[in-house]
Amino acid sequence: MAKRDTIEIKPLARVEGNGGIRVEIEDNRIINVEVQILEGPRLFETLVIGKTPEEILSLVPRICAICNLSHKYASLRGLEKALDVRIPEVTDLYRHLMHHGEIIESHSLHLYMLALPDFFGYTNAVEMAVDYGEIVTKALQMKALGNKIMRAIGGRMIHGENPVLGGFGKLPDRECLLSIQTEAKDGLAFALETIEILADLEIPDHMERDTQFLCCKPPHNEYGYYGDVLITSDGKEHPAEDYQSVIEERVVSHSFAKRSSYGGRPFTVGALARVNLLGERLKGEARKAYDGLIHDRWLRNPLYNNFAQAIEQVYSLEGVIETIDRLTTLKEPETAEPNRESGVGTGAVEAPRGTLIHHYMIENGRAVAADYVTPTAMFLDDVEEFIRESGERLISTKTTVDLELQFEMIARAYDPCISCSAHLVTVEYK
Amino acid sequence: MPEYKPRVGIYGFTGCAGDQLLIIHTEDRLLDFFNAVEMRSFVMASSNPLETEIDIAFVEGSISTEEERQHIKEIRDRAGVLVAIGNCAVSGGPQAMFAKDGSFARRLKQVYGDIKFITNPVEGAPLDEVVSVDYYLPGCPISQSQAMALIARLIHGADPEEFPHPVCHECKLNENLCLLLDQKFCLGPLTLGGCHSACPNNGLPCVGCWGPNPDGNFEEQLGLLESFGIPHEDIIRRVRNFGGYKILAHIEKLSGKR
Repeated sequence: MAKRDTIEIKPLARVEGNGGIRVEIEDNRIINVEVQILEGPRLFETLVIGKTPEEILSLVPRICAICNLSHKYASLRGLEKALDVRIPEVTDLYRHLMHHGEIIESHSLHLYMLALPDFFGYTNAVEMAVDYGEIVTKALQMKALGNKIMRAIGGRMIHGENPVLGGFGKLPDRECLLSIQTEAKDGLAFALETIEILADLEIPDHMERDTQFLCCKPPHNEYGYYGDVLITSDGKEHPAEDYQSVIEERVVSHSFAKRSSYGGRPFTVGALARVNLLGERLKGEARKAYDGLIHDRWLRNPLYNNFAQAIEQVYSLEGVIETIDRLTTLKEPETAEPNRESGVGTGAVEAPRGTLIHHYMIENGRAVAADYVTPTAMFLDDVEEFIRESGERLISTKTTVDLELQFEMIARAYDPCISCSAHLVTVEYK
Repeated sequence: MPEYKPRVGIYGFTGCAGDQLLIIHTEDRLLDFFNAVEMRSFVMASSNPLETEIDIAFVEGSISTEEERQHIKEIRDRAGVLVAIGNCAVSGGPQAMFAKDGSFARRLKQVYGDIKFITNPVEGAPLDEVVSVDYYLPGCPISQSQAMALIARLIHGADPEEFPHPVCHECKLNENLCLLLDQKFCLGPLTLGGCHSACPNNGLPCVGCWGPNPDGNFEEQLGLLESFGIPHEDIIRRVRNFGGYKILAHIEKLSGKR
């Protein structure tokens, strides 16, 4: 008789949204791994059909609260291409500031509140605060800074309507920008301290295997969170509008998120992909942090995503300081107007947890087709493969470690956003 | 005698998780909140939930699968007080903008094909379509000050106070120029307030994201917007973007009159 066993982790805690992990074991072999996405489908791509760009821009951030401004930004980039809206450079700078804010908010939430309790042996950050009060307090300040930036540029902490087609409703005044800059300078010390804390952590290797990476390639020689080209770890570059032939999608019954592969194999997106692919472009303190932490194992071990987020936290704080230096010398931009009412556009940005694509077809000022590809839907296959590898390895060594916790840590390291992922769909109205 | 702390559960169904995130975003007050109650379940923030009898359940999100229907009933059975937090739980959210028009099955098939899922998807519906709800905390997302006031009242055993004012009420207090005077498509008069008129403060019209204010004069507002030259069907389409199930009563009343 074959000995069968099933590990069910449901709900998967400390992630955004409703998901679970199911691992089936038979005769000490892993026979099935499912990362289940149980949050219901909202069919967002069908909700925006027939809508104006203004309506679309207020609807799409609601796909996900944590990365609401990434959705806004990707949507703006797609719609502005479709309608030939040419924004001035300073508008882009304000958008970069906004995006840095979201990266700081999301990474600090994930790194300190959701991931770190596992490494220190607590069930949540509030319990962790009993012994690591200073870290938790400073982490909350870091997150508050991210929120402050999102509120200043987005118009509200979550789902702000301030970024509009071609510009903004209202921009923060000089005083507000300078207070953000001061807080970013203060936060940088803690971000660097975090790098040191992480450098001392021992990272398990039981899940290590080769994988592939994908991210946006910024249109300049620096690090960044946007681009019109996707780069992959095989050295290839792909125009963002070809995303459908690069990212192959399929539907599975255990998940309301579609699944993705590149060249027939799973891939990773997010901070780890970006740092692995673009890390050599980092400068300043972020570069020092990168040089101090980077290791071959980063190519094979998803737990290093937490480290990559810590590096990006440094990069974004420096980015905030530098961007505000520039903004305070520049005049506020005018809102740019569309030059046409019909067109097709693909907008790609890097959400905190990975590449996010919004694609639109607009006819006479209304959407006739829309497609969203979210990072969590891209990396779910890779999460399953790492859990399988880990399970095989740990079972064969007859380990006494808590398998469930190890599996959860792998999934959590990706910072999955289940709300986002349950909408990876394509709709074409002919 | 040890102080009695109310047992609390915070649950997320289908939505963007923004209302739970907003509670997490209360930063320093989050620690106070955790200390003032016995947090039995808050899966987004903590492992090892205890799914037992609780005094207060805060529930975000719409009910969008068969499994979620069963789960909310099970929470209702063991919760003393159940609070719907956020537009998706209160009205159904954007995913309920085509509520009851019969298009869900077609749209689902368009997106996922003929696959059978481990739990059957259903069209997004507010909590009160499935269970009884004791209090509503609207918002997209909820407001921190309203959330903290409601939480403080409930954990002290008092009734939360309603905020039955439209966005216009706060917009006037903020001394904004009325966007309707510029013939902008603003839904402030019809929309539940509490957001401190976040969008008009930036010169942008209200999109109605908190859902309808029950006292809103829908017919009057419709006439006003039509007088700007905005077609009737555009207005109805836009009020439904965030109006979910709760706007349907307004629309039905209107068609009865016309």
